Amino acid sequence: MNTLQKILTVTIWEYQRFFKIKNELIGIVVMIVMAAIGFFGTIYLLSENDEKQSVMVHQNLGNAITEKLSDTFEVKIINADEKENKIHQINESREGVLIERSENGFLVTSWKEPGQLDKIREILNNYALDNNLVLYDLSRSDFEQITQTAPLETQYLREDSERQRNTVAFIFSGFLLMAIFQGFAYQFTGITGEKQQKITEQIVSAIKPQMWMDGKILGITLTGLSSVVTYTIIGVLGGTLYFQFTGAGISSILPYLHLPTILLYLVFTLAGILMWNSFFAAIASIITDPNNSGKSSLMFLPTLFALLSFLVARDPDSAGAIFLSWFPLTSASAMPMRWVMTDLLWYETAGSWLVLSLTFYFFRILAARIFRVSILISGKEPTWQEVFGMLFSK
Amino acid sequence: MSTKVLEVNNINKKFKTVHAVKDVSFSVEKGEIFAFLGPNGAGKTTTLRIMMDIIHADSGSVRWNLHNNSENIPLPSMLGYLPEERGLYLDLPVIKTLVYLAKIRGMKGFDAKQEAMKWMERLDIADRAKEKLQALSKGNQQKVQFISAILHKPKFAVLDEPFSGFDPVNQEMFIDIIQDLKKQGTTILLSAHQMQLVERVADRIFLIDQGREIFYGKLSDIYNQHGNQYTIQLTFNNGEIPHIPQNISDAENIIKESNDRLKIIFRKDISLQKIMTTLSGIDGIMNIKTHNSNLHDIFLNLVKREKPTQTDLL
Repeated sequence: MNTLQKILTVTIWEYQRFFKIKNELIGIVVMIVMAAIGFFGTIYLLSENDEKQSVMVHQNLGNAITEKLSDTFEVKIINADEKENKIHQINESREGVLIERSENGFLVTSWKEPGQLDKIREILNNYALDNNLVLYDLSRSDFEQITQTAPLETQYLREDSERQRNTVAFIFSGFLLMAIFQGFAYQFTGITGEKQQKITEQIVSAIKPQMWMDGKILGITLTGLSSVVTYTIIGVLGGTLYFQFTGAGISSILPYLHLPTILLYLVFTLAGILMWNSFFAAIASIITDPNNSGKSSLMFLPTLFALLSFLVARDPDSAGAIFLSWFPLTSASAMPMRWVMTDLLWYETAGSWLVLSLTFYFFRILAARIFRVSILISGKEPTWQEVFGMLFSK
Repeated sequence: MSTKVLEVNNINKKFKTVHAVKDVSFSVEKGEIFAFLGPNGAGKTTTLRIMMDIIHADSGSVRWNLHNNSENIPLPSMLGYLPEERGLYLDLPVIKTLVYLAKIRGMKGFDAKQEAMKWMERLDIADRAKEKLQALSKGNQQKVQFISAILHKPKFAVLDEPFSGFDPVNQEMFIDIIQDLKKQGTTILLSAHQMQLVERVADRIFLIDQGREIFYGKLSDIYNQHGNQYTIQLTFNNGEIPHIPQNISDAENIIKESNDRLKIIFRKDISLQKIMTTLSGIDGIMNIKTHNSNLHDIFLNLVKREKPTQTDLL
């Protein structure tokens, strides 16, 4: 059995160990149930808002406003004698709204800010506006002309549909984050579990640490990608259904499938996931007790860098964005994001990808080296100084 | 033509405060059962890990000759290794783990499965093949671990403490298995501290204590050189050993085995009559047993002689 076959054996083993169709399906079902609860819950809440809510209106408000309010609300008119009693009731029952005139305009009394306040304000504003128009002898159309904004048209010379490309950029960055989280969980539980179950000595006697580490990184990367693909398919199906429900039609998602952007993101995302999985493997190899290790927090570092790359969206041509798009810990999402948002020369993209791939190449060697020298360490965790010492020892 | 398949030359290994292996040298002949014996912490496992290239020696060399073109660590398919620290995937089915470990050692999946089933039948655990390892008893887990070490038919098997964790019945079964492996041509290096078991199968032995060689050679040689003693075991009344003169004449060694049991080792050239006269001077003896020294007795005797000075303990 040659090297590649052995790596493939470990890759398949790790993939089958962690990627469970049953778990994915449970996750999808939970997601669908939550989406359904959200969807129908919103419909229910909105349908409740369609019903007329009741407000109390003081006699002193006048017929004109009361009529306007009654178009939207169930209005109950109260006289001056009832006022104190009604305010007392509102205070006791903590519900009800009373609208009346005040010295400077209008007064709304309720236990706390009522849900109807915006609507009430709109009706009262309209009433005040109508009064002012009469006062200044203006018609509605005159008023609208006076308040009209400057006519502005836009023309962009870039041919691509930028909005769709930006959407793809953010979706892929989300995928990268998702795959990073998966890799974090699996490398962490995988390697520390093997160390705790004392399997590593057996493994090192059976296969070269580099082969084993390569297989592990590839297997867990595949696991992460499989989850991403599963959720992407579900997302596309969900999106299609959404567009059909909202009447936009299936063609509405086609502009989002911008092939060059997707291909660029695929190669960068893949290299990024591989690089971070190598990083996770190296850190997990040092950890002896995952529950009490100070080094566990390092596993969250990739999330920080992935989020940092979103800063590119602020100004893709700034010096900071250029740095982030070349720096291998952020370039996996930062460079494609710049590619989407600005114009790049081909060698910038290729160079950044090369640096990212080289980082993956060295991280995997580092991971195998750390694993090789730390497999028999149990109990006290090595310090960083000891880890560097081990790396350069015989 | 040399039939040495492994040569270990003057290896040394120091850890922070312990000199674990001190100038250890030995060789293993093709097809033999070579026993590496010593008490806990003697340096056996460290030596084995150096041989297996899991850790590196500070000095000295390890040469393999399992295939002609290399002196480095042989291909994993040629080596079987049962580590002292047992461990397999507890949450996965037994058969799946065994096939995987055989595959990464170079065996084909189908062959690995067939061979694994054959071994599991022999060890009476075939019906547990699809169960998760954690569902098996400790003893059965040990059996699975053993299978994983020899499933791929290695030319050389390194078995570190193969008998630990087994009851006497299973220990006997593993004695048979080890002898069968030898018959099939597998060279075996056995590391253990159960000397009464090892002396039944080993061709040659290496006794190690505190990292250094105590004896190295054929089993018959150690009996010839160091086994020429009577071992007398005395059991006393009232669960208490009376005062024993420190210098019982002609006694090579006096070992207190328990609160009421004493072992006295005499040279074989001392007459039994003289021994009985010596013993008659000791009060409270309830029971006397005598036997020729076994490996265990010889080892204890040798260790006593070879006790290191304080300067050896770094």
